[in-house]
Amino acid sequence: MNLGSLITDTLANTLDVSLPLFRPELCLAATVVLLLLCRMLPVLRHADSALVALGGVGFGLWYAWSDFKSLPAGGDLLAGRQELFTGLLVYDALTAYVRLLLLGFLALYILFTKVSGIPDREDGADFYTLVLGGTLGMCLMASANHLLMVFMAVEMASVPSYALAGLLKGRKASSEAAIKYAVYGAGAAGIMLYGLSLLAGVLGTCHLPSMTVELAKTAHAGAAGGSVMVLSLGGLMLAVGLAFKLSAVPFHFWCPDVFEGAAAEVGAFLSVASKAAAVALLLRVAFTLGVPAGGEAAAQTLAALDDTRHFMVYLVGLMAAVTCTLGNLAAYGQTNMKRLLAYSTVAHAGYLMMGVAAAIAMAGVTAAGTRDAVTAVAFYLGTYVFMNLGAFAIVAFLRNTLRSEEISSYAGLVRTSPGIVVATAVVLVSLIGLPPLAGFVSKFLVFSALVEAISAGAERPLLLVLLVVGGFNTVVSLFYYLRVLKVMTFDPPPAERATEPFPLVSLPGALVTALVLPVVGLGLFWSGLYAAAQLAGAFAS
Amino acid sequence: MDIAAQLPLLLGLAWLVPLASFVAILFFGPRMGPHGRNAAWVATAAIVTSLVLSLLAAGTWLGAHPVQAAHHGGSHGSDHSAEAAGPVAYAGDWYTLYQGGGLRLSIGWYIDALTVAMFVVVTFIATCIHVYASGYMHDELHDVTDHEVHLSGGGHLHRPGRFPRFFQALSLFCFSMLGIVIAGNLAMVFVFWELVGICSWFLIGFYYERTSASTAANKAFIVNRVGDFGMLIGLMALWGALGTLQFADSKAAGPDGAQVVRPGLFGLVRPAEGGHALQVPDGMVKFAAADLVATTPAAEVAAKIDDWRSMGLGRWLLFIAGVGIFCGCVGKSAQFPLFVWLPDAMEGPTPVSALVHSATMVAAGVYLVGRFYPVLTPDVLLVIAYVGAITLFIAATIALVANDIKRVLAYSTVSQLGYMMLALGVGGWAAGLFHLVTHAFFKSLLFLCSGSVIHACHTNDMRKMGGLARVMPWTAGTMLVGCLAIIGAGVPFVIGLSGYYSKDAILAQALSFSRANPAHSILFLAVAGGAFLTAFYMFRLWFMTFAGEPRDHHVADHAHESPGVMVAPLVVLAVLAVAAGWTLPGGFGLPNLLEQARPAGTAEGMTGGFVFGNLTFPAEHESHEGAIHVTATLTAFATALAGVVLAALMYLVRIISPAVVATIFRPVYSFLAGRWYFDELYHALFVLPALGIAELASGTDRGVIDRIIEGLAWTARQLAGIDAWIDRTIVDGLVNATANATWHAGLELKKLQTGHLRQYVMFIVVGTVALFVLASLLFRTSMAG
Repeated sequence: MNLGSLITDTLANTLDVSLPLFRPELCLAATVVLLLLCRMLPVLRHADSALVALGGVGFGLWYAWSDFKSLPAGGDLLAGRQELFTGLLVYDALTAYVRLLLLGFLALYILFTKVSGIPDREDGADFYTLVLGGTLGMCLMASANHLLMVFMAVEMASVPSYALAGLLKGRKASSEAAIKYAVYGAGAAGIMLYGLSLLAGVLGTCHLPSMTVELAKTAHAGAAGGSVMVLSLGGLMLAVGLAFKLSAVPFHFWCPDVFEGAAAEVGAFLSVASKAAAVALLLRVAFTLGVPAGGEAAAQTLAALDDTRHFMVYLVGLMAAVTCTLGNLAAYGQTNMKRLLAYSTVAHAGYLMMGVAAAIAMAGVTAAGTRDAVTAVAFYLGTYVFMNLGAFAIVAFLRNTLRSEEISSYAGLVRTSPGIVVATAVVLVSLIGLPPLAGFVSKFLVFSALVEAISAGAERPLLLVLLVVGGFNTVVSLFYYLRVLKVMTFDPPPAERATEPFPLVSLPGALVTALVLPVVGLGLFWSGLYAAAQLAGAFAS
Repeated sequence: MDIAAQLPLLLGLAWLVPLASFVAILFFGPRMGPHGRNAAWVATAAIVTSLVLSLLAAGTWLGAHPVQAAHHGGSHGSDHSAEAAGPVAYAGDWYTLYQGGGLRLSIGWYIDALTVAMFVVVTFIATCIHVYASGYMHDELHDVTDHEVHLSGGGHLHRPGRFPRFFQALSLFCFSMLGIVIAGNLAMVFVFWELVGICSWFLIGFYYERTSASTAANKAFIVNRVGDFGMLIGLMALWGALGTLQFADSKAAGPDGAQVVRPGLFGLVRPAEGGHALQVPDGMVKFAAADLVATTPAAEVAAKIDDWRSMGLGRWLLFIAGVGIFCGCVGKSAQFPLFVWLPDAMEGPTPVSALVHSATMVAAGVYLVGRFYPVLTPDVLLVIAYVGAITLFIAATIALVANDIKRVLAYSTVSQLGYMMLALGVGGWAAGLFHLVTHAFFKSLLFLCSGSVIHACHTNDMRKMGGLARVMPWTAGTMLVGCLAIIGAGVPFVIGLSGYYSKDAILAQALSFSRANPAHSILFLAVAGGAFLTAFYMFRLWFMTFAGEPRDHHVADHAHESPGVMVAPLVVLAVLAVAAGWTLPGGFGLPNLLEQARPAGTAEGMTGGFVFGNLTFPAEHESHEGAIHVTATLTAFATALAGVVLAALMYLVRIISPAVVATIFRPVYSFLAGRWYFDELYHALFVLPALGIAELASGTDRGVIDRIIEGLAWTARQLAGIDAWIDRTIVDGLVNATANATWHAGLELKKLQTGHLRQYVMFIVVGTVALFVLASLLFRTSMAG
C-alpha cells in the first residue's frame, strides 16, 4: 500500500463516513468560531450572542435528531455502529442518544441563561463559547473509542468548566471555586493519564476494541500476576478520572465548593451535561473493555473477560454505594441551596452508577437484561435533564428576586409566590423519586434493573447490597429535600423581605413551568422517552 | 389547493388566531403600552384576521357552490335527486385524542354553508364589538373608583384598571365560540360549549367587586350547569348506544389497512339507503333490545334488527338523546325554564352583552339545535316548539314593564331566541337559522346603541332619559333602525328590513304547521301575539329614551354623542340590520345560502311521533306558497303596526297614560314587573331546600356526628396517653437514636469538606490508594494469578 492510496482511502473515509455522522459536533464548532468572529467584526458586535448560540445549537439539534431518527429500530442492533476517523470515535445508538440529550439540554440551557440574565451582554460571547466548547467535549466523551480521545474529551469538557466556574469575575467565592476546580481537575487528570499509559503499555494499543481483544488474550493465557496487577492499577486510575467527572465519592470534594462558589447557571451546566457525558463515557469504556464486539470468537472472548467485568462491577458498584450514601448524608444540615443541590447531584451520580453496575453485571448473562439496565440509565439521564435544570433555574430566578441562595431566605415564600413553591415541590419530590413524577419512573427502572440482575444470579451479593443501599438512601433523601419545602411553606417570612412576588405568569415563570411540566408529564406518559432510551440501550447488546 | 383542504385550513386558522391573541395578552398584556392600552389592538387585529380568513373561506365556498334561487312550488320532483344526495359538507379530523376499540374522540371539523355563514357573522360582529369596546372600556385604562361598590369603611372601591383583562377574555371567547361552530363532533362541541360558559362567567363578573355582578356570574354559570347535565345525559345516550359523536361519516384505516367508512350520527339516524328518512339507528335498537339480543344467536341478530325496530325498540333512547342535547341548548340559549340567568347577565360591560349575551353565545343553543337537527325526532321537535313558544311569550310580557334599558333588551333577546327555537321546532329549519343571523346583527346593534346611551347618561334607567334624539342623533337613528328591524318592519310583499324576512318565514312556517296539526294551533297564536308585544316594547323603549322632553335635566345636560370609534360600528351594523335579509336578483342571499346546508331528508317534511300522537311537519317550501305566505305576512304587518301604534299612543302622543293603565291592571302589572316571580319561585323551590338540606346536614354533622367523634376522641386520647408514654420512652428512644446517628453522621461528613485545596488534592491520592488496597484485598486470588 503506497502513501497515495493511503491518503485517498483516509480522505474518502473521512468525507463519506465520518463527517456526515459528525455534523452536530461540526455545528457546535462552527458556532464557537462564529461567536468569536462576532466579537471581532464591528458589524456583528451588537449581535446577541445567546441568539447566535441558540441558532447554532438549533442546527446541531436538528442533525442530532435526524441521526437519531435514522437509527435502525429494534432489528439489527449493531448495524448502526460505525467507527469514525480511523477508529478514534465510534458512532452508535448511545452516541446518538446522548448527543441528542446534550444538545436538547443545551438549547433549553441557553434559553434559561438568556432569561435569567447571567451572563450579561458583555460576557455573553465568552460564556457561550465556553459552554458550547464544553458541550463539544462532552459529545466527544459520549463517542470516544480510543484512549487518546477519552483523555482529550474529558479535558475538553473540563477546561471550559474551570473557566465557567470563575464567571462571576468580581466575586471572591467564584474565583476560589474556579481555582479549586482547576487544581483538583488537574490532579485527577494526572492520575487518569498515568492509568491510561499503564493500560496502553501493557496491552500495546490505545484503540478500545483492540484493547479488549488483547485483554482477552492476556486473560486466556493466564498471564503472570504482575501484568494483571498493572492492568488493574491502570483501570483503577482510569476509573479515578471518570469518578472525578461523575463527582463520585471519594473524588467529589470539588463539587460542593464549586457549586456554591459558581453561579447557579454554571451549576446547572455542570450537574446535568457533565454528568450525562460522564455516565455515557463510563458505559462506553466499561462495555467496550468488558464485552467483545460481535463475531465468532465473541462468546469465547466473553467468557475470558469474566474477571474483567467482575472487577468493574465491584469497582463501580462499591463506589456507587458509597457515593449515594455519603452524598445524601452530607446534604443534611446544608444551609445553602446550591450546596444542597451539589450533594444531591453527588447522590444521583450514585443511583446512576448503580444502574451501570447492574448493566455490566448482566452483560455476561443475558443480552435483554443488559439492554434493560442500560435503558434504565439512559432514561434516568433523560428525566434528570428536566429535574436538575428545573431546580437550578428556580434557584437562579429566586436569586434574582431575593438576592440570596440561602434556604432560610426562602421562608414563607408560599404566601407571596405559591406558583414557584409548587414548581419547587414538583422538582424536589421528583428528585426524591415519588410517584407520579418522572424521578419515580427513573428510579423504579434502575431498581428494577437491579432486581432483574439479582434474580438472574449476576453478582448477587453485591447487587443485593446495592439495592438495599439504594432503598435506604431514598428514604434518607426525603428528609433534606422536604426540609426545603417546609421552610418555603410553614416558616414565617422574614420581616425585612420586600414582598416582591414571583408570578408564574411571566417569562421566567413560563420557563420554569416549561421545565416542570415535563417532570410531571414524563411521570405519567413515559413511553415515548422510554422507547428512545431503549434505542440507546441497544448499543450494549 | 383542493377546496376540501382549503376550507379547514382557512377556518381553522380563523379559529386559532384569537387563541394566540389570548395567550399573548395573558402573558404580556400588562406590558402592552401604558396600562395595557395596546391589548385592544392585539385582540382587534386577531379578530380582523379571523374575519378576513372567514371572508376568504366564504369566497372559496361561493366560488365552488354558487348560491342559486331555491325551487319554489311547482318544480318538485326535478330537484329531488340532487337533494337526496344530502347537503355539501366537508368533515375531517385534525387530531385524534383517544382511540380505543370502537370508540374514538377527536378534534375535527364539519364545514357546510351554515358553518361558513356563522363564521362570517361571528367574526364580523366580534370585530365591530372589539372596535366599539376599545372606546367603551377606556375608563379601565387608569385607576377606577367603582361607585357601585360600597366599602365597609364608607368609601368606594378604588382599584387599578383592567383593560387588557377584558380583551383577553374577549379573545378567549371568540376562540371558544368559533370552536363550537367548526366542531366536527358533539364531544368537541361540549368542550367549547363549556369554554364559552367560562368566558361568559369571566365577562359577566368583570366588575367582580360588585356583589350583583359576581352573583349574576355565578347564577349564569350554575343555571347553565343544570342544562349541561341534561346535555351530558344526551351525550351518554348517543355515545353508549352508537359509540360515536362524530357528525359526519369518516374514513379511517381499518385494522388491516383498508379504508373503512365509520358512519357518523347523521348517517346512522338518517341512512342514505333509506332516502335519509329518520329511523332509530341499529345501535340504539340493539341497546334497547339487550335481553332479546342475549337470547338470539349472534348470526341472526342483524336480520332481526328491522323487526325490533318496527316494534318500537330504541325510539325512547333516541327521544332522550334529542331532549338531552336540547336541555343543554335550553340553558345556553336561555329558554324556559332556565332563562332567568340572562337578564342578570347584563351586569357585564355592555359590549359583552352585545357580543356574548345576544348575538353569539346565547345563539349557540339555537345553532346546535340546527346542527343536530337530523337526529331530532318529531316528538323532540314538538317539545322544542312548545318551549320556544312559552319562552317567547313570557319574556315578551316581562319586557313590557321593564324600566332598565338593558333589561328590556335582555328580555327581548330571550323572546327572540324563543322565536328561533319555535321556528326550528315547527320544522322551519332555515327560518330559525335565518332569524339567528339577522337577529345577531340587529340585536348587537341595539345593545351597542344602549351602551352608547348608558355611556352618555351614566344610568340604565329609562325613566330618567327622554329627548336624547337631539343630542345623540346618530345613536337615536341607528337604534330606530334596530327597532324597526326587530319588529320586522317593511312594505308587505315589496321590501323590508332584515327582520321582516326572517320573522315572516317563522310566522309562515308556524301557520303552516298549525294548519297541518290543528291541535297545536296555539303555537301560531303565540308567534303572532309575540310579534305584537315585540313591537310595543321596542318602541316603548325608543320613545322613552329618545323622544319627547328630557325627564331628568341633570342627565340630559351631561349627555353627548359618543366618540367616532363607538359610532362607526353602530352605522356598519345598522346597514347590515337593514340589508342582511335581502335576496339579490339571481337568488344570492342568506336564505338560499343556508338552504345549501339543509340536512339531508328534511326538505320534504316528515310525519311521525309516538309520545304526543302523530305529528305532521310540513315541508318548509310549502310555507312560501300563496295563501299561507299572504296570511302570514299580513298578520305580521298588522300585529307589528298595532304594537307601534299603541306604544306611540302611550309614550309619544300620550293619549293613554301608562300610569293609569298600570293602576287599572295592577295585579297583572305587578305580576309582570315581578318577572312572573320566577326568581322567587326558584328561590323557594331549589335554593331554599338546598340551603335547608345543607343546614340539616351541618346540624347533623355538628350535633350527632361531631358528638360521637368527640366521644371517640376522648376515649382515644385517654388510650393515647398510655400509648404516648410507651412511645416516648421506648419507641422514640430507638428512633431518636437512629435519627441522631444519621444526623451526626451527616454533620461529621460535612466536616470532611474542609475547604482546603491542599487536603482535597491529598484526598485524590488517598482515595486512589485506598481503592487499590481494597481491590487488592478483594481480588487477592486473581491478583495472585
